[in-house]
Amino acid sequence: MKKVLIVDDDVDVTTLVSKLVERSGYKAMVAKNGVEGMDKVREDKPDLIILDILMPKESGIRMYRELKTDDPLKDIPVIILSAIAKRSFFRSQKVLDEFAGQSVPEPEAYIEKPEEPEELIELMKKILG
Amino acid sequence: MEIKKMLFVTNFEELWFDALRSLMSLRKAGLEHVVLMHVVERKIGYYTTEEKRRLKEMAEVRFIDWAQSLFEEGLECGSYIVEGNTVRKIMSIIEEEGVNLVVISRQKRSGLEKFYIDSKTIEFLRKTTIPVLVHKYNVGPGRVNDKPFERPLLATDWSPQSNRAVEFLVALKGIMKKLQVIHVVTEKAMAGLGKRGLKKMERENRRRLGELCDSLEAEGIEAEPHLYIGDVTQIENAAREREATLIATGTTGKSAWQARWLGSPSQRLAEVSELPTLLVP
Repeated sequence: MKKVLIVDDDVDVTTLVSKLVERSGYKAMVAKNGVEGMDKVREDKPDLIILDILMPKESGIRMYRELKTDDPLKDIPVIILSAIAKRSFFRSQKVLDEFAGQSVPEPEAYIEKPEEPEELIELMKKILG
Repeated sequence: MEIKKMLFVTNFEELWFDALRSLMSLRKAGLEHVVLMHVVERKIGYYTTEEKRRLKEMAEVRFIDWAQSLFEEGLECGSYIVEGNTVRKIMSIIEEEGVNLVVISRQKRSGLEKFYIDSKTIEFLRKTTIPVLVHKYNVGPGRVNDKPFERPLLATDWSPQSNRAVEFLVALKGIMKKLQVIHVVTEKAMAGLGKRGLKKMERENRRRLGELCDSLEAEGIEAEPHLYIGDVTQIENAAREREATLIATGTTGKSAWQARWLGSPSQRLAEVSELPTLLVP
């Protein structure tokens, strides 16, 4: 069974998205910040990550960059699901790209909260097959 | 002393985004990560469930907006909107996040334009082991303190905590233009000393101030020593005379300084001071 890691500090979101993931026939795993998220990615190698941005300890922005600059993990697809505007995410990536002298690829999809369940399910199916 | 991670605690009365922005010069001192925090106090009969929900929603909307701006500048950002005892919640976030600096505000007395350091803030200042900036951004009608680290004034009582305040300021050397260093000789310390004894004490303190300023200049900080006699209200006078933008001091555990800074006389001083106060335990 394919595994989907949901990284979000909002329990309401992780509960709802976990249900959508499981209803779609995948296994849901949860982490509540970027630090926990990276630990889970390394331990469980998920097939897809649904990632929030504004979280305690480590944001989704930092986790996304860690993931996309880690050779064995960089091909794991990511859907960003966040209240942070898509525009801000891409601007932050641009600044960080310039600072690090290294650009990271765009996520597979970016959904601004509140999510439409159908949209998320469709995206997961499209990415995971 | 590094300042990589800052906890910015706001109740949306005194500290808004412009106050946070005034601290962004800390990036030159290594600031990488801002943790935003709002605490909805849990008081029986204070807020209804509906009011608490609205307060949290309002905080969330503000924080998303602030975080977007911080992210767009390449900073790392996180947020906490929690309910409970303010002091306990701040202490737990400090531990969880490992922050290097906490920024809090004064409280506004309801119905009056006067500010005061409330009992929660004092309790927190007594308990914390990391530097705290009591930020005062709005310094008067139409006036803001948007460069608090530009001309700080360090008040030293030669304690280890004062030395830590020096270390903290050294970390800000890329931001500050000039540092004023003062030592206040209290009337208590002068009691019983004859004229000669007073002169010796003055000479000794001037020597120590000179040495401290020399060591700061060796770090690349332009520093100017000043000796005052009186009580801690002289710190405020010195800050005004020297056009300081911030007062920094160590918070000594058992000395009269802490009692003065964190007890009621100091409370008064912090209340009336227009300047942000950086307290280093």
